[in-house]
Amino acid sequence: MSLLAQCGYGRGGKIEQGLNDGVIHGVIMSPRDERRGRLEQDIENWGNSHPNALVMFDPQFYAANLNNARDGHLSEFDYYNNNSGLGRTHFSGTRIQGYVKECLDYQHQTFGSNLAYLISPTILFDAFRDSWSQIALNMAVESADYHSKLNSPQPLLISLVISETAFQTMDAVEEFLDALTEIDKQGFYIILRRNSASVQNAMESAPFGRFMYFCHVLTTINEYDVIVGYSDWHSFLLEAAGVTHTATGWYQNLRQFSLARFQPSSGGRRPRKRYSSAPLLSCPLINPELQDIYMANLLPRVLSESSHDAILQNGPTSGEANWSDEISCLAHWYSLNALSQRLSALPTQSGRILEAERLMQNALTLYTQLSSENVSFDPSTGPDHIREWQDSLQEFRGLAGL
Amino acid sequence: MTVPQLTVEQVAVVIPMASDIQEVGRGGQKIVFSGIIDARKYALKFMVPNPSQVGGQNSEFLDDVTSRAQREVETMQQCSTPYLVGMGPVGLNTTDIAGDPIIYFSEEFVEGQNLRAYLQSDGVFSVPELIRLAFYMSEAIKSIWQFSKIHRDIKPGNIMRRNDNGDFVLLDMGLVFDLQDESLSVCPVGTPLYFSPEQMDFNNRRMIMNFRSDLFSLGTVMYEMVTGHHPFTQGATTTWEVLGNIANAVPQPPMALRQELPEKLSDVIMRLLAKRPALRYRIIELFQRALREVETEGGLQ
Repeated sequence: MSLLAQCGYGRGGKIEQGLNDGVIHGVIMSPRDERRGRLEQDIENWGNSHPNALVMFDPQFYAANLNNARDGHLSEFDYYNNNSGLGRTHFSGTRIQGYVKECLDYQHQTFGSNLAYLISPTILFDAFRDSWSQIALNMAVESADYHSKLNSPQPLLISLVISETAFQTMDAVEEFLDALTEIDKQGFYIILRRNSASVQNAMESAPFGRFMYFCHVLTTINEYDVIVGYSDWHSFLLEAAGVTHTATGWYQNLRQFSLARFQPSSGGRRPRKRYSSAPLLSCPLINPELQDIYMANLLPRVLSESSHDAILQNGPTSGEANWSDEISCLAHWYSLNALSQRLSALPTQSGRILEAERLMQNALTLYTQLSSENVSFDPSTGPDHIREWQDSLQEFRGLAGL
Repeated sequence: MTVPQLTVEQVAVVIPMASDIQEVGRGGQKIVFSGIIDARKYALKFMVPNPSQVGGQNSEFLDDVTSRAQREVETMQQCSTPYLVGMGPVGLNTTDIAGDPIIYFSEEFVEGQNLRAYLQSDGVFSVPELIRLAFYMSEAIKSIWQFSKIHRDIKPGNIMRRNDNGDFVLLDMGLVFDLQDESLSVCPVGTPLYFSPEQMDFNNRRMIMNFRSDLFSLGTVMYEMVTGHHPFTQGATTTWEVLGNIANAVPQPPMALRQELPEKLSDVIMRLLAKRPALRYRIIELFQRALREVETEGGLQ
């Protein structure tokens, strides 16, 4: 299990640095946010400079049927540009075959062995029994068939983009799993579409517990590779459920997936600086939250022990100016990767589940201790999300009989 | 459906190359003889076409009995594994006997004992025997599934153990379901005691049935052969109650009934009996690998 970088606009030198530092183990590229020439060149370069990195290309075909999608550079890619603006009537069997062919041919012919997997095109769906989910399933089956004919040495991941609301009911989840597990390919690249993307925004406990179960059935039971994109802090829970790799990026819209990513920007101010604390399982504001923790002489308890911590150790507010976006991102990856490595070092799933429970309990205990020292938190940083996660884990354990 | 009323003498007329003809059994709609052809013993199967559906010699429509026989023969011809009964030298034919239409064909005659009889005479299987059964039946299921077909009637009575080498052979492909061909049934077919949960959902069968349905039936057989108990008959007095148990009840793990069983083997059987296909094995090879692990861990190789 390892953490991958979920790429978007403004990569800078983060990827190189993250790969060199060993805090990320691969990259999921975003054609929406990159000029085609640069993206193709960078994937080739990584193939040479980091041959063991898991480099993937998310074709983001799902933007093709969003209304007025702000699709950035996607129009530079023929498999997308030839097929954007799709409505429900544009998904006949023959047309789906065409989309699949163009999309997989592009990855196969352009990137060859520089990609760890090919990723199939898909469309977003909101419910497991709606017509869009059936279209997504048809695209998955066509992709598997076409990949078999392609004779590509790169294994195929079937991509799925599913709304969190789809996990409101369980029977539909199981029906969909029955159909998915008929596909004999390497695995799945799954994106959970959140209703909104905000800093904390833990998912409702029951649907997320079902999503964990969904992943568990695909990985632990059926032995597929499963990579969950935009998983951010949820990564350690997903790893307890058996997920193979998780991914997160630097901006909020690369940490949780919502359609806001493909809608016109409403502007807004620059986000306040935060620190990713593995012990707290959250990102307190550097000023005032981390500063208050420092004043309470409890800073070492919340630090993730990365080399970047030195910037803040003599007082978070005095180090804030040097806490650049790039350092913040690398420190975030460090924290998530540390959690990931901690879980993956355990040989059994039951051990990983117990460790995830322990991490959450420790975080709650730490929050209580900080509260007793009069450290207060913004609602976006407080401990409520951890209680939701605990409930999610219970829901998952019940469903999986673990 | 009627069973043809045939004598040994009539069979000898229909298949003159056969000698030493003997009646060996009668099923729901067929009568089976054994006979020697070219020094080998074969089963000779005779059926009566469904009279209500026979449209005359020039009809392009086949009745259901003929269609099923055709599918059975086609499946035997397609599959080459030794763990499925093989085709004999007499292909599918029709004839008239005393003015009545008859269809017939031959298949390999398996000398041995079926598992139902074995359970009654010898009791439960040892662990190595059960693993052997599971391997051979998984090969049979895989062989049929290669052609997008499902056996649909895996049960102890349809599995023979050969006298000569102890191998297991799956018989009777008369109810094979072909996902790529037209449906031959108007209601669920097979033996209800060995149905999978999805086999009961007749209207959606094309969407939800695949080889994992046969794996469930195999799980039921394995459970029975290793514990002596059917997993879903407890507390049931009617077929409907058994079907209810198949759909909803989780049986006791086999090792609760037979404590010396390896836990892993017990888990493998329980996984075959999962209610949802997604919780069984998505490819036969994963099932076979699990069996090998049971062998290795138990020092049974």
